Amino acid sequence: MFGYHGRALVVDLTRQETGWEPLDETVLRRFIGGIGLGTYLLYTHCPPGTDPMSPNNPLIFVCSPLVGSKLTTSSKFAVVTKSPLTGFIGDSLSSSFLATELKNTGCDALIIKGRSSDPTLLSIDDGDVRFLDGSDLLGLTTSETEQAVKQRLGRRTRVACIGPAGEKLVLYASISNDGGRQAGRTGPGAVMGSKNLKAIALRGTDSVPVHNPEAINEIGRDLSRKSLGAATEKYRTLGTIANVSVFNRLGVLPTRNFQQSTFADAEGISGEGFHESNFVKSAHCANCTIGCEKILVTNDGGPRAQGRMEYESAFALGPLVGVGDGNAVIRASHYCDEAGMDTISSGATIAWAMECYEKGLLTREDTGGISLDFGDPDALMAVLGMIAERRGLGDLLAEGSRRASEVVGRGSQDWAMVVKSLEMPGYEPRSLKTMALGLAVATRGACHNRSSAYEADFSNTVDRLKADDKRGGITAQGEDFSAILDSLIWCKFLRKAFDDLYAESATIYEHVTGWPMNADDLRLAGERINNLKKLFNIREGWRPEDDTLPARVLHEKLPTGVAEGTGLTGDELDMMVQSYYRARGWTEDGDIPEDKLRELDLLDLVQEPATATP
Amino acid sequence: MADADVTDRTLVNVRAELFGVARMVSGHSHVTLSVPERSYPRDLAVALAYLCPNLVGPVITDDRSGLHSSYTFNITCTSFVGDERVRLTPEDTVLLFSSQAGG
Repeated sequence: MFGYHGRALVVDLTRQETGWEPLDETVLRRFIGGIGLGTYLLYTHCPPGTDPMSPNNPLIFVCSPLVGSKLTTSSKFAVVTKSPLTGFIGDSLSSSFLATELKNTGCDALIIKGRSSDPTLLSIDDGDVRFLDGSDLLGLTTSETEQAVKQRLGRRTRVACIGPAGEKLVLYASISNDGGRQAGRTGPGAVMGSKNLKAIALRGTDSVPVHNPEAINEIGRDLSRKSLGAATEKYRTLGTIANVSVFNRLGVLPTRNFQQSTFADAEGISGEGFHESNFVKSAHCANCTIGCEKILVTNDGGPRAQGRMEYESAFALGPLVGVGDGNAVIRASHYCDEAGMDTISSGATIAWAMECYEKGLLTREDTGGISLDFGDPDALMAVLGMIAERRGLGDLLAEGSRRASEVVGRGSQDWAMVVKSLEMPGYEPRSLKTMALGLAVATRGACHNRSSAYEADFSNTVDRLKADDKRGGITAQGEDFSAILDSLIWCKFLRKAFDDLYAESATIYEHVTGWPMNADDLRLAGERINNLKKLFNIREGWRPEDDTLPARVLHEKLPTGVAEGTGLTGDELDMMVQSYYRARGWTEDGDIPEDKLRELDLLDLVQEPATATP
Repeated sequence: MADADVTDRTLVNVRAELFGVARMVSGHSHVTLSVPERSYPRDLAVALAYLCPNLVGPVITDDRSGLHSSYTFNITCTSFVGDERVRLTPEDTVLLFSSQAGG
């Protein structure tokens, strides 16, 4: 077999047993790899109604056929599980050396089930699995854990681990690898923590050959050249933090818990400002020519912090909580990475709490004496620490905005800025109407990456301030496109280097695997993967009313900036959601008809019960 | 072929705001452009290149016929400029930023 091993490694932490599950050509061609294959494995391995924090919830690491090909940006992997935050599918991506090492252990996917009785370090060395004592790692940050594991098992070992937040089961805890890269959204770190699994150490030499290495080398050279051109300019220069000043000007930068869409102090956390004052260097994932990561360091004489800065972290720990001090945002982002917490959900949950404090629903007594004011960087840092340790108010906030708002009540649910319990990213839906739909219908909750629906809003193809019934088709196409990027797996920042993603990727897939594939096959695979995600959610209790946006978005108009006075009504959103269901070929209630399942070759999965193990 | 009329010769001063690499390379966050009331993207590029010659190469094509595909013009935060001609008034603002959305 080329491009794949054709098998998954199944590890049962409860029984300390392992086994191999064959993955045949039919499955691999239908679901490709990455998020797609991960969705299939989740659907088949997670028994219906599983408590996400129970031993039955599988934690699945998935490679792709391109891992090991050395094509630029292809060293990526997916982490898929049932999200403890949303109760629906939780799928995240991360990247770099760990992807290659995982594949070189001899599997296309690692499926972890059960729960260890003691803190565990799982070591996999060329398929040789050991359950090692991980108690000495408890309490260590993500970087400390990675270093400790490397000291113990060798420098070449690649490590995926959780920080203190994952140990404490913070529902939006992340999994960290390769010096701070994060599988961040939907709480996979909490699932790993629930399994008493502190770290996974990987070493492998079992690389998979590609079918046509000459063709792949030639394509690889061309793709690398394109990756250094106009198609990736922003990511190579300022990185994603370039968004801050532009989004602020366009009135799409969520500020003070989405009460505004402009931020007066945006300059201090802008890409331009950071580049001038805090920039250290650009960094690359393994086998990546783009180098989008911008390493920033504090420079104000306070506690030193150095780390990556992405737009989403800058937004969530900056404007969203009213903080415009760049050094404070660097410190907060670095803290989240070390504690192992998703920066978006961390910042958004604190923003919700700040608004509660502003409105008198939380007091200094509740906060342990902290004045939880918007714009206070000391309060931000203090509460981040309380969340990671589940101390005081932090224990409530570790549950995420939706659950916290249900406890506090008194109308605070209206400003819990979540979709399907996942906190919203840094795209104001009232002034980005296609994105609004993308956020509402996304299977993993409020996610900008699984549809990239903002692409249409930032173009001359739609009026971003007005809703219409064309957005359903745009969003569905964006989701299918993203599903293929996330399953092959390509970095999204490479997407514009392709003239025709489907056709070019199909050719590459054929050269890697030796199996026939064309553009239509891939397009259909993207649709199939999104439908299977939806099938999983339906099985786990999805209801049509879950495809919506927070009350604030539907009832308050934007008060500032160029989008002042712009809102989004419930009727407008319903109209767009219906247009999306129609574009998908679903019923008006958002169910998938049997004909569609048959068309997508998914009927067999619905009719087969999930594996009831361990 | 595009139609020509008297407005082709009417110039209007508009504020141009620069973001990202354009701001860093030029050293300006904003400039005032004098451009035809009905402008093609190339008219904007030529006027900008005249004021900020450092942008030629990194942002504006060497022949000054437009922007590299990694950049875009936006008029007054609402309209993204394609290849077509746009009508400008002194109240308009031309924004120049990366065409790569997201992240």
